[in-house]
Amino acid sequence: MKEIACASGVELLMDYLEGVLPADLHTALDEHVAGCPRCAAFVASYRDTPRILREATAATLPADLEASLKAFLRARTTAFRSS
Amino acid sequence: MEPSDETLAAQAAAGDDSAFEAIVRRYQARVFRLACRLTSDTDAPDVLQETFLQVHRHLPSFRGESRLGTWLYRIATNASLMNRRAKARRPAESLEMYLPRFDAQGKHVATPVELQVASRADELLDRQFLAEKARDVVARLPDPYRDAFVLRDLEDMSTADVAHALGVEPATVRQRVHRARLMLRGYLSDLVGVKP
Repeated sequence: MKEIACASGVELLMDYLEGVLPADLHTALDEHVAGCPRCAAFVASYRDTPRILREATAATLPADLEASLKAFLRARTTAFRSS
Repeated sequence: MEPSDETLAAQAAAGDDSAFEAIVRRYQARVFRLACRLTSDTDAPDVLQETFLQVHRHLPSFRGESRLGTWLYRIATNASLMNRRAKARRPAESLEMYLPRFDAQGKHVATPVELQVASRADELLDRQFLAEKARDVVARLPDPYRDAFVLRDLEDMSTADVAHALGVEPATVRQRVHRARLMLRGYLSDLVGVKP
């Protein structure tokens, strides 16, 4: 069985979570994470990072922009058809 | 019942304005959100307009080989990247200081509690403060990392679709998303006062 250190495990993390690692490496990383509280904590925060940033950067379309987009497209698409 | 995307696309392609407006209503919020993440709040309105102009122009040639949403998202991504290219280049900024640290044996330097604190950034920080910092740090990522991370992780596109949209291999997308996640994870940790 391959021995994995935290540093090399971190480098493999994306491929590990996407399931594209070779089976033996995947198993070795599973075992390392199961026995290493630091890596278990690291993996948890690595998984949570996209969720936190997704929620924090979710911009809402302002109502006035929606109205101006509609007016803009009506003017421009009419212009397309009549050109 | 709401008409399907395919029905609306066919009707809009045939010149039905109300079908085109229904497509705009269905996708405008998502396109705006994507544009804010790939450009800025200031530039997103221009990207929104450009995206739907392109959609209107190219709907007659939309063959349904991909789903309407995927096709439209690709147009929005391209419009965002074109908008960004037209602006002065941002100076490259290093976020390497947020990468995890290891000792000589390759073991994490931080404790488990310190390593997990990034998971609690949304509990520990004021919502508005976190939103401002999050938008700022995503914009500071080097462009290749930002694009891959936004599309894959924030917009939830598949790795294959991101690879297609950015014209790179799936392995390159995974590598860039991974790098971005590491830096952003460390940044969240730093925001709550713990070195990554």
